[in-house]
Amino acid sequence: MKRGRIWLCAAPLYAFTLVFVLGPALYLVALSFAQNTAGTGFCWAFTLENFARMRDPIYLKCFRESFRLALSTTVLNVLLGYPFGYFMGRLGARGKRLLTFLIMAPFWTSSLIRLYGWIILLQVKGVFNRVLLWLGVVDEPLKILYSYPAVLIGMVYALLPFMILAVYTSVEKLDWTLVEAARDLGASRVKAFCTVTLRLTLPGLMSGVVLTFVPSMGLFFIADILGGNKIVLVGSLIQDQMTRGGNQPFAAALALVLAAMTTLMLWLYRRLTGTSELEGVV
Amino acid sequence: MIKKLFAPLCAALLLLGMLAGCAGKQETSGELVLYTWEGMFPQEVLDGFTERTGTKIVYSNFDYDETMLEKLTAANGGDYDVVIADDYIIEQAVRSGLVAALDKSAIPNFGNINPLYQGQFYDPDDAYTVPYGAGIPLIVYDPAATGFEITRYEDLWNPALRDAVAITANYRVINGITLLSMGESMNTEDLDVIAQAGEKLLDLAPNIRLSQDDNTQDALLNGEASAAFLYTSQVTQVLAADPSLEVVYPAEGLGFGIMAAFVPVNAPNASAAHAFLNYLLEPEVSKACFEWLGYYNTNGAADDIVDPQLVVPASVTSGEIIQNVSEAANDAYNRNWTAFKAACGQ
Repeated sequence: MKRGRIWLCAAPLYAFTLVFVLGPALYLVALSFAQNTAGTGFCWAFTLENFARMRDPIYLKCFRESFRLALSTTVLNVLLGYPFGYFMGRLGARGKRLLTFLIMAPFWTSSLIRLYGWIILLQVKGVFNRVLLWLGVVDEPLKILYSYPAVLIGMVYALLPFMILAVYTSVEKLDWTLVEAARDLGASRVKAFCTVTLRLTLPGLMSGVVLTFVPSMGLFFIADILGGNKIVLVGSLIQDQMTRGGNQPFAAALALVLAAMTTLMLWLYRRLTGTSELEGVV
Repeated sequence: MIKKLFAPLCAALLLLGMLAGCAGKQETSGELVLYTWEGMFPQEVLDGFTERTGTKIVYSNFDYDETMLEKLTAANGGDYDVVIADDYIIEQAVRSGLVAALDKSAIPNFGNINPLYQGQFYDPDDAYTVPYGAGIPLIVYDPAATGFEITRYEDLWNPALRDAVAITANYRVINGITLLSMGESMNTEDLDVIAQAGEKLLDLAPNIRLSQDDNTQDALLNGEASAAFLYTSQVTQVLAADPSLEVVYPAEGLGFGIMAAFVPVNAPNASAAHAFLNYLLEPEVSKACFEWLGYYNTNGAADDIVDPQLVVPASVTSGEIIQNVSEAANDAYNRNWTAFKAACGQ
């Protein structure tokens, strides 16, 4: 009786997961093996052609571009986010509260609106160029918008908070007496940082890496808006095939491969850190 | 003083208008059910028809072409007297036998239609439809920035426009203008020709500053691009913002979308429907409609009086509509597009 009641309590959650997670996922897998037909339709005839088509250099390039962008975004986020999170963790209680607030505040507005803000800053007749011209750094306005650097700026901007907060949580939990002990035993500042601080905050850093790398594989609207649709990522390819291109089975196959790649990333993370949880944020 | 008087004056005018509306009402002789999107007609055009014929217009609307076809199918070509919808869906309606052949003797103004918009795939013999406005993507450029005159699609390939062209992001449209620049059809299913178009698109890539569907026209205004290939509404907006820009009706021919009116096969009031189509083809009525809608004028007899921005010059004689193509051809167009976009980012 008791057991039955517990089961009843969990039933809605099970139902939700079945209907909204497992169902669509199975549909996606099935669709990726379906046959595309003219127009926007498809038929349920088994084919491997959707996967075979990905071997086309054009589509392989999309995967490569996505990987490259995700990697550069993650590296930049580590370089910027780790020191930020580290020093934030060393601040007093008021400073921590203030910085957390400042990091979270932009999330109160739509990310799309914030990206349009970047357009205003970066465009030829924009703020950034006007300052450069005024300072005499350049004679002609730079064409920054609709280029790879613009996309990279947008990606780093969008994902940096996740890195900072992950590192910060780790640093905050750090037992500073261990660092002091290392110093007492004769380690230099650098050595103490490398052997103690970095080691102990590594889980935070790694979860920051996962939290920036995995989403940046799929974040395509930044490349569309700040890159003028010129950097073709797997995400934008999927969207193109799903909507205008009208090849839903191919879109499903691409989505499946992308999901497999990110799953591989998560598996690597578990192997490297020996944990199954993302420190700090999740 | 003026401010104080303004509100009461407005109120008085409104009241007068309402009274006049009541007084002007005639005895109705039947009704005409007009089925189209919301906001396709200025009210005075509809009122004008009622005033003249005594036929009351019942304006019924749909959101999507597909909804219209469903309802019309369910009504077995009845219920509605005049339907206005997009080209491709009309083809399906005609094929399903839902559209009545027009009685042209009841539409003396039929000859007013600009032949550019006739003989299209959805009605090759002009037996069923009266076009009601066209959307035409066109090139707009800033002569001061480009330094040369643009007259055709081919000019977008000019190396002088390096990193200075903004385009819309529809894969069929961009493949289409490339094919037009090669003297081919926008709807070709010849895979070799499509592959050639793909090669040619790669040559365009270095010139592309951005490619997007929304607010593409802004690139001309904020200095990001000096030439742009834009949809009709964007062309109208950008010219209103900066009249010094030039519009190009590319010499190779236009690609367009047409909205057209037809009479369903079992229309309850077919005679009123024909009278209404004839009324729409009067130059003054067309002028009122198209200037209000912002789409290109399809009534040749109204060309002289409609806002010149909405009139395609007489020199342009060919135009084509993008249609569905075979699966293999569509895949090839998709591949061209992805390769092109990737090349743009290099």
